[in-house]
Amino acid sequence: MRSVVHHLSVQTHHDTEVIDITERVKEIVDAEDVTDGLVLVMTLHTTTAITVNEGLEDLEDDIVEMVTRLAPEGRDYRHARFLHSDGQMAVNAPSHLKGALLGMQFMAPIEHGRIVLGARHTIYLVELDGPLERNFVVQVLGV
Amino acid sequence: MIDFHTYPAQIAELIDTDPDLPQAIADVFGLYIGAQPLATYVGHLDEAGIDQAVVLPLDCTTAHHATVFNNQQIAWLMERCERVIGFASVDPSSPGAAERLVKDVGEYGLHGLALDPALQRFDLADRDVAYPVYQAASELAIPVMVRCGINWAPKGLASLGRPLLLEPVIHDFPDLRLVIPQLGWPWVDDALMLAIKHRNVYLDTSVLFSGTPTESLRQVVETRIGHETIDRSLPRQVVFGSSYPRVDPKRAAWAVSELGFRPKLTQRIFHDNAADLLGKGCN
Repeated sequence: MRSVVHHLSVQTHHDTEVIDITERVKEIVDAEDVTDGLVLVMTLHTTTAITVNEGLEDLEDDIVEMVTRLAPEGRDYRHARFLHSDGQMAVNAPSHLKGALLGMQFMAPIEHGRIVLGARHTIYLVELDGPLERNFVVQVLGV
Repeated sequence: MIDFHTYPAQIAELIDTDPDLPQAIADVFGLYIGAQPLATYVGHLDEAGIDQAVVLPLDCTTAHHATVFNNQQIAWLMERCERVIGFASVDPSSPGAAERLVKDVGEYGLHGLALDPALQRFDLADRDVAYPVYQAASELAIPVMVRCGINWAPKGLASLGRPLLLEPVIHDFPDLRLVIPQLGWPWVDDALMLAIKHRNVYLDTSVLFSGTPTESLRQVVETRIGHETIDRSLPRQVVFGSSYPRVDPKRAAWAVSELGFRPKLTQRIFHDNAADLLGKGCN
């Protein structure tokens, strides 16, 4: 059994941003010496998400609009106070809730040394409280 | 738009220039989050619609044996980001502070002076310690950001940052332009009184105590000051400030936008008043 964890980063530029990371994941899987197994993609933040959908700009906009509608700014959130452990204001409850809705990770099989994706599958890192430098991991696991 | 109140405490490239900075940022400034590239700082400005931002250093040599960015480091940052409006910091309790202010403003092209009595541990009205620095700033004709109100740094003594302590300073330096951040919160009435009475006293909007910036600012403006008071009596004396990285600039900007001021007043708060304060070199 082989397990390799790759640490990657991306600089986001907007408050909310849908970033296609499919090729970066594919390149890692292709480069690893794993024929059969799994690949895990996981964000290391609670105000970003990993999701998979069809790689179309209209759907990307719809995803953003959906999470914004479900977790809008300006509600009476509890997470709106000074966070002593950080030394800054925690005023991004909508960002956390959007992250909870979309999820933090994605897993796909590896078969014959290649990631198995549907023809329309696109892997996204979704920025929900940018701009920030964001980190995610890609773990390749198998034989 | 001009943000009159940011700190470079999260900019990785700048922090990397000095091995003492990470500890000073945590122990003195009280920020415990990871650094981010300069690109993130610029991105924050872009996302908030901010063209230029005042960056504030802090010299606490006497009180805490540390500087949370010195004037040379601010100049370094200005060279790498033309949108940064660097201010100077000197420790008033340190011998030769006034002379150093004159030298550094001239040498590095800094645009103002930042004072933080709560962290620097000096009496704002001390004629021996503070007045020489005010005199130098007055002669340089630079604005002075005086960090009054709540101070989130654990070592900050808020009692030293009461706006009313500035009253004798205002009388003795009538040409010195002073900026009180956070609308002076929690001493809003005192800060408001000083600004209404004295045309050389400015307030910034970086109110942060609980809730979102929108909630905090709205509460103070609607229940303590009044929209009409700012519109009628202070249209040229309120500037936008975020206090980044204590909060993200985009939410601080939303807070001002959502107050519902007349467009001309919003324009003055977001830009014109700060541009007037800072003089040439600002868009």
